[in-house]
Amino acid sequence: MTTRAEFLHRIRTEMGRAPGLVPSATAPRPTRPRERLEVLRRELSERWRESLERFAVEFERVGGVLHRVGDAEEVPGVVARIAGERRARSVIAWPGATLGVDVTASLVERGLDALAMPEAEVTPAERARLRAVAAAADVGVTGVDLAVAETGTLIVVSGAGRSRSASLLPSCHVAVFDREALLESLEQVGVALEAWHDGDDPTWRGAAINFITGPSRTADIELTLTRGVHGPREVHAVFVERGLDVRRRV
Amino acid sequence: MSEPDLATPFRERAGQALDDRFLQEALTIATTKFITLRREAFDAFPQGEALRDQARAIKEATLQRLDHWLEMLIDNVERRGGHVHYATGADEARRIVLDIARRTGARMAVKSKSMATEEIHLNDALEAAGVTPVETDLGEYIIQLAHERPSHIIAPAIHKTKGQVAELFRRELNRDAAPDPEVLTQIARAELRQKFLQADLGITGANFGVAETGTVVLVTNEGNGRMVTSLPRVHVAVMGVEKVIPSMTDLAVFLAILARSATGQKLSVYTSLVNGPRRGGELEGPEEFHLVLLDNGRIRQIAGPLREALSCLRCGACLNVCPVYRQIGGHAYGYTYPGPIGILLTAMLNGPGSVKDLAHASSLCGACVDACPVRIDIPRMLIELRRELDEQRIAPWPERVVFGAFAWLLQRPALYRLSARLGRLLQRPLARNGRIRRLPLFFGSWTRTRDLPPIAARTFHERWAELEREARR
Amino acid sequence: MSTPVRASLMITCLADVLYPEVGERIVRLLRGLGVTVEFPAGQTCCGLPLFNSGYHAAAADVARRTVKIFDEAGYVVVPSGSCAWMVKHEYPGLLKAPAARAAAARLAARTYELSQFLVRVLGRRRFRSAVAGRLTYHDSCHLLRGLHEAESPRALLTELGGVELVELPGSDECCGFGGSFAVRLPEVSTAILDKKLANVEATGADCVVACDAGCLMQMRGGLSRRGSRVRALHLAEVLGEPA
Repeated sequence: MTTRAEFLHRIRTEMGRAPGLVPSATAPRPTRPRERLEVLRRELSERWRESLERFAVEFERVGGVLHRVGDAEEVPGVVARIAGERRARSVIAWPGATLGVDVTASLVERGLDALAMPEAEVTPAERARLRAVAAAADVGVTGVDLAVAETGTLIVVSGAGRSRSASLLPSCHVAVFDREALLESLEQVGVALEAWHDGDDPTWRGAAINFITGPSRTADIELTLTRGVHGPREVHAVFVERGLDVRRRV
Repeated sequence: MSEPDLATPFRERAGQALDDRFLQEALTIATTKFITLRREAFDAFPQGEALRDQARAIKEATLQRLDHWLEMLIDNVERRGGHVHYATGADEARRIVLDIARRTGARMAVKSKSMATEEIHLNDALEAAGVTPVETDLGEYIIQLAHERPSHIIAPAIHKTKGQVAELFRRELNRDAAPDPEVLTQIARAELRQKFLQADLGITGANFGVAETGTVVLVTNEGNGRMVTSLPRVHVAVMGVEKVIPSMTDLAVFLAILARSATGQKLSVYTSLVNGPRRGGELEGPEEFHLVLLDNGRIRQIAGPLREALSCLRCGACLNVCPVYRQIGGHAYGYTYPGPIGILLTAMLNGPGSVKDLAHASSLCGACVDACPVRIDIPRMLIELRRELDEQRIAPWPERVVFGAFAWLLQRPALYRLSARLGRLLQRPLARNGRIRRLPLFFGSWTRTRDLPPIAARTFHERWAELEREARR
Repeated sequence: MSTPVRASLMITCLADVLYPEVGERIVRLLRGLGVTVEFPAGQTCCGLPLFNSGYHAAAADVARRTVKIFDEAGYVVVPSGSCAWMVKHEYPGLLKAPAARAAAARLAARTYELSQFLVRVLGRRRFRSAVAGRLTYHDSCHLLRGLHEAESPRALLTELGGVELVELPGSDECCGFGGSFAVRLPEVSTAILDKKLANVEATGADCVVACDAGCLMQMRGGLSRRGSRVRALHLAEVLGEPA
């Protein structure tokens, strides 16, 4: 078996033989990414309305459906309506602490079969059970860490109380966000990603960051665009104008 | 069409593809659509050109310190609890994955689309070891059921009709379905959903490996990449060494041009950043994460003539614009990677001798360079390969004799002019009404489908004296 | 009056032997614009076929002698984009000796494809048409993507009196010639050509114009074989008297 040392040695040997290289540079990175992101966020808070309008256009262009509400309390109603229109019974959701609003209690009151995914580590058996629940659910409700106006993208970080399945296994994904999440461009996403990876990860953060740009799609059969091949067929985003009460922002 | 095998000469394989009327239509529709989508995406994205230049510079800069960035990637992956393996050749890469499968007791592996695992022929090895590999990208799933190989880097099954897919599902899955992409897709969704939930092993490639953070990045449209990296107990990513990039800032640059070049989307539906195995408190995610760094001919090219090809993002844009690919499709090339970039990658993996015919499967029109998001000069490297074929005497000797004679003649202007006169004599029985319709020997390759003008009654050289007199008058 | 512009014609192998009338036309055209035209003796071929097929030592020999032949020339005018590209783009790299390389670079800087010479050097773009009817233009790959020239030929054709210019769908797509490619893979080459000619015929043009003898040989060969009424002409053949 090739060892790390042998492998890298071969690379160095070849690098030494490479002739006439052109001067090149990697992309300039922010020196203090967290501070840079803070400054950026302050600037963006001045013009979040423009960002939201651009996001609305792009999100709909990729097949998403945007809903706008004033207060966080209205979110369960939106989810219930979406579920009702699809005759959906079962809903899984992030818990109130990570979503910024508790949706499950209200959905259960409305007669839906709703379950909040746990925030703490659970046993392997319980994980397996919850996975089966998620796989059978019709609707998944999650938060959003970043909403990118340029591309209509939702960026979701996994972690404690931030189930990956909720945005993946049910055929309908409802993502809830507020102005704090809005960014304008992919370039700004680069800054955010730098900031998130600056220093040690917080313990609650998971191993996956997912960019979601519309519903799952394929064109693999005769280039016919078809939705919902593995991930959700539908993606809804609910914008909460007066903000969400998220305990830990990324 | 059934796949031609490598025992058939390339020219014949290409001929079979040209005679396949369905394939011809599918290729025209697919490549035209991809070209249009790509063009529209960049027309609406004025900063795209500058980002392409920047992306290219990042790739080159990374290559110049490849050892540094790879070491950083390795350290960071390990810091996050992942394991890193080093594969010099395809056999070693297969052995590493099989060892992981064996140790973890895996019976089934779900795979998201990965050219690197195609390149090392991993599926056959898994099967032989008693692990069932399941391709989960819809196109790859279809061709796996049909026991074929991908015909396009990003649209592996463009050579199949919906009718053929319905028939395939009937035969292989016992599912009766209308030849409707929507219906067929839902069948595949249901079938594969079960596999995702059952599989022990998830196998992926990697679009990027971010050194500063130890992150493996996967780009898909279907969501299978997310499934494969979240549901099975073990995740193995097989990544060519050239896929490392320094930072998240660099990643943002590449993401802005990758999907636009491939499908004309601003971003593909899912971009998944994987930071190692599941963390405490997470419901999903693998218990083990393995990164297999793959050489397989790449490292040799750091100082080799194909160095530039190490910048390839595998977007497929060069295939869509290539006049040769557009006529013959992917299978005729005969190897894992089709199209103009595929010729270079085949030579990289298997040596120049493997492309002695393929190196000439290009008119050197340069459309690929314009389409390439990182502007890889593919024609220049094809010419380099041809040079190697000449210098290593791999090119057939009659060809070398003909070109040698031609070169000799070009150094001797008097004889060169005499040869035109000689040609004029020889062509006499062949030229009719100012054109030649049939020629013997290899010249017949031209005249089978095209007329040839005869050598002029007086060449320009022979007319010049008169033109000079004309000027003095 | 300023000193007359001096230009040497690099006739290229295909134009010399197969299309001498193109060379003749260029000589008269340039003289009509007051250019002193020279034709350095001993020219053969630019060596592009050798270069593209990988015979680089032989191509370098050809480059060395071509550079020498044109050393005294003023401007160098070439009727084919591909040969102009060879001289401008590849000659300096092929020659390793510093003096030869410097001479090649000097030649490269003075070398122009015909349409470029007319428009960019002489600043002349108005001519009467030597043909009638509807024209369309095919971009030769080396001129378009090698020399980044799409405008000069179009400028000349647009201003041409008495004809209509229609844009060719897929004008930037290869005609399938590609030098030895055309005989190594004749079936593929012809399939690419068929697509090109179908596009040409769909425009309803009487004549497709190109700035490369290779493309012309390919397109003419195909048109003639299918008995088409469409003609494939070199730019020099459609440019009449200066207007």
